[in-house]
Amino acid sequence: MSDGMPPSASDSPRAAGGARLAASCPPPLYACLHAVSPGHAGTLVQLARDFSPRFECHRDDLVSIDIRGLDRLLGDPGAIGAELRRSAAARGLRLQVAVAATRTAAMVLAHARPGLTVVERSGEAAALAPLPVGLLEQVDPACPVIPALKRWGVRTLGELAALPPAGLAARLGQPGLVWQAMARGQDARPLVPTLPEERFESSADLEWPIEGLEPLSFVLTRLLEPLTIRLERRDRGAAAVHLALDLVKCYDADRRPGAAGGGAHPASDPAVDVVRGGTFTRTLELPAPLRDVRTLRTLLLLDLESHPPPAAIERVTVVIDPTPGRVLQHTLFTRAHPTPEQLSTLIARLTALLGQDRIGRPAIVDSYRPGAFVVQPFPVEHGVASASSASSASLISVLRRCRHPVPARVAVAGGRPVAVTTDRRGFAGGRVRGCAGPWRTSGEWWAGEGPEAGWNRDEWDVSLSDGAIYRIFRDRVTDGWFIDAVVD
Amino acid sequence: MPTLARADLESLLRARQLDRTLTTALAPLDPSDDYVVAPAGVTALDASLGGGFPRGQLSELIGPRSSGRTSLFLQILAAATGRGELVALVDALDTLDPASAAAAGIDLDRLLWVRGHVVTNPGMCRDVNPRAVEQAVKALMLILQAGNFGCVVLDVAEAPAEAIRRLPFTTWLRLQRILEGSRTACLLVGAEPMARSSAGLSVKCERARRQQPGGQGGRSDASGPGQMFKGFDLELHVISARGRRREGVCVSLATEASPDV
Repeated sequence: MSDGMPPSASDSPRAAGGARLAASCPPPLYACLHAVSPGHAGTLVQLARDFSPRFECHRDDLVSIDIRGLDRLLGDPGAIGAELRRSAAARGLRLQVAVAATRTAAMVLAHARPGLTVVERSGEAAALAPLPVGLLEQVDPACPVIPALKRWGVRTLGELAALPPAGLAARLGQPGLVWQAMARGQDARPLVPTLPEERFESSADLEWPIEGLEPLSFVLTRLLEPLTIRLERRDRGAAAVHLALDLVKCYDADRRPGAAGGGAHPASDPAVDVVRGGTFTRTLELPAPLRDVRTLRTLLLLDLESHPPPAAIERVTVVIDPTPGRVLQHTLFTRAHPTPEQLSTLIARLTALLGQDRIGRPAIVDSYRPGAFVVQPFPVEHGVASASSASSASLISVLRRCRHPVPARVAVAGGRPVAVTTDRRGFAGGRVRGCAGPWRTSGEWWAGEGPEAGWNRDEWDVSLSDGAIYRIFRDRVTDGWFIDAVVD
Repeated sequence: MPTLARADLESLLRARQLDRTLTTALAPLDPSDDYVVAPAGVTALDASLGGGFPRGQLSELIGPRSSGRTSLFLQILAAATGRGELVALVDALDTLDPASAAAAGIDLDRLLWVRGHVVTNPGMCRDVNPRAVEQAVKALMLILQAGNFGCVVLDVAEAPAEAIRRLPFTTWLRLQRILEGSRTACLLVGAEPMARSSAGLSVKCERARRQQPGGQGGRSDASGPGQMFKGFDLELHVISARGRRREGVCVSLATEASPDV
C-alpha cells in the first residue's frame, strides 16, 4: 500500500487470516490399510476407527485413514505405520500399510508393496513411477483403459504420468486424465469419512394406558416428528418402521393372536404380529424411502386398524431403519404422477378396505392355462415412459373372465352348439346364431389329480340370440359345459 | 343493500367453487390440449368427441353385454399408459382378463388393479353382494383423492342395476366434486346410465345393427368348425356431453380378434 500499488486480495484481513489458518493446519497425511487376509472387514474398520475418526472405507479390504496430528501422539509417519501394523497383528490381521501425503499414492502403494511403505512428502510421483500400470486395475477394478495403455506400450505408472495430458484426453477422454492423476499420486477428491450408522429410535412412556387408535395417533406424531427431522439432517429416509407397543399385562385371553376372533395368527401374517411378554410389535416395510410424518403415521395407523393391539398401551417405541434418501430430478416434459408417499398411503388404504390380495398390478403368467394371471405389488416409483401416442382405427375384442366358470346347458347338433342356457341370473342364454371353434387346449395334466391340477377342454366362441357373445367350453374330463368369458 | 348482500354471497360461492350448478355449461375444452382431454387413442372417436374424454369430469361408457364397452375402455387405458400416465381400474366384480389388457396395449406396470370382492355367488353373476359395488365406489374415491392418475375407470358393467340404483345420488356428486380441477379422466362403465347429471360425457356402445350373412351383429358370426372369431362392429352414440354440444354424434368402429386373447 505504501508503494502506491492498489491493494491485492492477499492483503485483505480475511486472506491474511486464511493464510494463518493454513499455516497452523498440519499438512495432510494418509495411511492406507490393505488387508491381505480376507474376511476381516469389521475388524479393519474398527482398527481404523481406533486410530482416527476420519477414515474412509473403500472396500472390505481397503481403508484410508487421515493420520495428520497423530505424530504428536505416536511419532513420525514410520512409527505411526508400525503401530498400525502392530495393532492389526494383535487382532489377527495381515496388512500392507502405506503412508503418503496423498490418499491415492498411499492406496496404490498399499497394493504394490508388502509390509510398511512410507513415502516422503513430494516424493509420491517418484515412488509410484516404477510400479506397473496394471496396479490401477487393483485399486479400481472398473478401470477400462488399461488394455489400451498396454497396447500403446505404456508399462509403468511413470510412463503414464509422463504422457502429454492433451493427447491423452483426446484419445481417452476425461477418464484418461483421471488415471494419469492417479499415476502421479494426485488426489481427485478429498477423503469422505465413513460415519457409523445412526440408530433412529424414539419411545414414550404413557402415564395412563391408552386404548384406541385416535389417542395413539398423537403419540405417534410426537415420536415421529423428531425422528424424521434427524432423518432429514442425515439425508436418509425410512426403509422400514418397527412399532413396539408395550401392553398392560392383564388382557382378555380370547383376543390373543391365534385365538378365535382375535388378531391375525403370526404364522399367517407376513408382517410380525406377535405378543411376547406383553409387547405387541408390527413392522412396516416401506416401498420407497419416506420421511413424511403424516404419511408414516397414516401407514402405521392403517396397519393397526387391520391388526389392532389386544390390550391397552402403556409404552410406544418407534424404530426406523434408515436408507439413503431419494434424489429426484423432475422435468417439465413428463406427466405428474402420484408421489411415492401418496401411492403408499393409497395402497395401504385400499388394502385396509379390500384386503392385500385385491390390490396390485396384473401380470401375465408364462402358461397356456386360459385366464392365468398373477397380481404383483404395484410399484410406487415409475420411470419416464417412452410416450407413444399412436392412434388406431379399430379396437381389439377382449374378454371379461368369469373367475369361476358358469355351468351351462348346451344343446349340440351336428357337432356344433346350437343353444346355450344357464340357471344363473343374468345369463339368459339363447339360440346360437353363430359359432367359431372348437379349439382344444389341455395342459398340466401331469401335475396330479384335482380340479386345479390341469385342464382339458374344447372351446367355442358363440354368438347368442340375446346379443351376447360368450366363450364357452366343454370339459373333456367331466363332459360338462361352462361359460368361461364374455367377449366384450 | 340487497345488492351488496347478493354480491357477498356470490363471491363466497365463487371462493368455494359453488358458483355454478351441475347443469351449467362448462367452458369449451381445447381438443388439442391433452392436459384437458384424455384421447381414447381411436382416431374416429377422438375426432368425434372433440379430442377425447374430458379430464376433471365424470364420464360414462354404457352398453349391454358384448357391445364393445370393455374393448373401448381398455383402449382408453392403453392410450393413457402410452402417454406415460398412471391409470387405475376399479374392477368391482373382478372380471378383468389381464391377457386382454396386455393385448389391448396397456402397460401393465402402470395399471393399478383393484379387484372387488364377490362374496355371495362367485363369478360374474347378478346375485352379487351389494357391498362389492359400495366397496368399489369407496375405492374409487380413495384413488381420486390421491390424485395425479391420468385415467381412472370404475367397471360395474356386470353389476345388477338394483345394486347401482341403491347407491345414493350424492355419491356421483361427491365424485364429481373430487374430480373438479384435477387432471384425471374418470370413466364409469356400466350397463345403464348411473351418474345422471354429474356425467360430463356419456357414450353408449351397441353392436352395429347392420345384418351380415350368417347372423346378427356383423363379423362375429363367422360360423363353422375350424373358423376363427374375427371380431364385431359397434356403434358409439354420444348421449350427453356437458358443455361440449356433441350430443347425437355417432361413431362406427370395428373390433378385431387378437391371437393373444
